[in-house]
Amino acid sequence: MAAALKDVWIPRAVLLALALASWEWAGHSANGEWISRPSAIVIRLGEMIGAGLHIDIAVTLGEISAGLAIGGPAGVLLGLWLGRSPLAAGLLSPVVVALNSIPFVALAPLMIMWFGLGVLPKIVLVALVTFFIMFFNAYSGVLAVDRDLIDGLWLMGAAPDEAFRKVVLPGAAAWIMSGLKSAVPYALIGATVGEMMLARRGIGHLVTQAASQFDMTGVYAALFVLMVLGIVLSEAVALTEARLLRWRK
Amino acid sequence: MTVCRLSGDAQPRLQGRETMIELRKVSKSFETRGRSVKALDTINLSVREHEFVALVGPSGCGKSTVLNMLAGLMDPSAGEVTYRGERVSGANRRVGYMTQKDTLLPWRTVEDNIRIALELRCRSSEAGERGARLREIIDLVGLNGFEKHYPSEISGGMRKRAALARMLIYEPETLLLDEPFGALDAQLKIIMQRELLRITRVRNMTVVFVTHDLAEAVTLADRVCVFSGRPGRIRAEREVLAAEPRDVVGMRFTPEFGALAEDLWNELKDDVGKELTT
Ligand SMILES: Nc1ncnc2c1ncn2[C@@H]1O[C@H](COP(=O)(O)OP(=O)(O)OP(=O)(O)O)[C@@H](O)[C@H]1O
Ligand SMILES: [Mg+2]
Repeated sequence: MAAALKDVWIPRAVLLALALASWEWAGHSANGEWISRPSAIVIRLGEMIGAGLHIDIAVTLGEISAGLAIGGPAGVLLGLWLGRSPLAAGLLSPVVVALNSIPFVALAPLMIMWFGLGVLPKIVLVALVTFFIMFFNAYSGVLAVDRDLIDGLWLMGAAPDEAFRKVVLPGAAAWIMSGLKSAVPYALIGATVGEMMLARRGIGHLVTQAASQFDMTGVYAALFVLMVLGIVLSEAVALTEARLLRWRK
Repeated sequence: MTVCRLSGDAQPRLQGRETMIELRKVSKSFETRGRSVKALDTINLSVREHEFVALVGPSGCGKSTVLNMLAGLMDPSAGEVTYRGERVSGANRRVGYMTQKDTLLPWRTVEDNIRIALELRCRSSEAGERGARLREIIDLVGLNGFEKHYPSEISGGMRKRAALARMLIYEPETLLLDEPFGALDAQLKIIMQRELLRITRVRNMTVVFVTHDLAEAVTLADRVCVFSGRPGRIRAEREVLAAEPRDVVGMRFTPEFGALAEDLWNELKDDVGKELTT
């Protein structure tokens, strides 16, 4: 297994080098400015770092974290509550399902009109997206808990809150973690979309700014930053999940 | 009821004991996909304090259903289930129930699973005392070295033993055991049977024990109840008298033991055959 993995790295590297080389070659040909060149993108990234790229990254990351910190717990709490109370679920879940049917990207203009040009509309957008994802996962997680496990603890003499803490909550944790895993990429989308509408800073703003000046190299450089950010965030969640859910084999 | 004496000097163990558990004319039907299936038909069964009763019978005859009703996890469709004279309604917290399917919590290690009953508010005990009991019980079921493993990392037989330990550690007065030793090898089975007998005698526990193994039923039980196939009825009962303490290996080699096992097999075999041919 380990040997097979090692073997695959060499063809991978070769493939990547080939792809970059042909991109570079194509970029030098006629009309090359539309597809830019890897070397130009690298140079541009260097310039962007000098010109305060870290502030844009911090702004986007800040919007994502603030939005997750608001939407995530709110969604989890509502999901846990509705999961426990069939009455509340019957009453509220149609509302949640209906609201969730709105493509959240369409809310971006509304958010900007309500909350202005700063980071606030982006945070609200991220919070909304993650809220729904976390809600549905926590809710399904509670419903999926094996009834027999709860009965077992009942017979041992557990009080209702003990059965909830020791069975329902840890049982739903796997679902909540997988919710977080899908919420993080959506949070990045939410923040970027918000910044692309109207913003003063942020990586989404860098994309639109470069595009409005037909600066293809700038667009690619910003997209590259978004890709790296996406990978880092997803890996961080995957790592947390692996640590918290060690019992899952 | 027929009394079977497995050795000459065997004495009745339960004279004067009061009734602990009683099923009176209990029937149970299940509704599945619009069809009603009768699982149990007018069962009468009473278990005395400190008694060890074994239930045997063909698969699907309602043995697990009986235990579920004793634990209060299911209500009878007709008739009455009482425990110490009171009608069972809702979870019966005086019993420990080891279900057919193990219900260990997958996110807790073996030792955290076993300890869980002691963590509950209704059972406040000192941390030190808890630790000592935990080590003792892990030793008893032979899970040393696997304390930190998760249920997904141990074998089916080990999970059964962990479930048994989890139940024994808080010493319920009555044990409901659904095929607890089914997944164990012959040698381990004998060790576990010996320990179960020892513990239940020392702590004066009442036991209802479901098994498919007739020799196991005769070895352990004061009384064996044979169920007929679906709908389940109690078809025969045998009281087993053996010299105390029971020698779980030695007693198998007496002619009386063989005769009783054969007698039970004759009661059982028609139904087992029927189940297979239909
Ligand atoms: N929750 C349930 N819902 C519907 N039917 C059930 C349920 N529990 C049991 N039954 C039915 O009741 C009958 C008796 O089931 P039970 O599990 O008590 O049998 P058993 O004697 O324990 O069998 P085995 O030896 O295979 O464990 C079966 O026909 C089964 O299909
Ligand atoms: Mg069963």
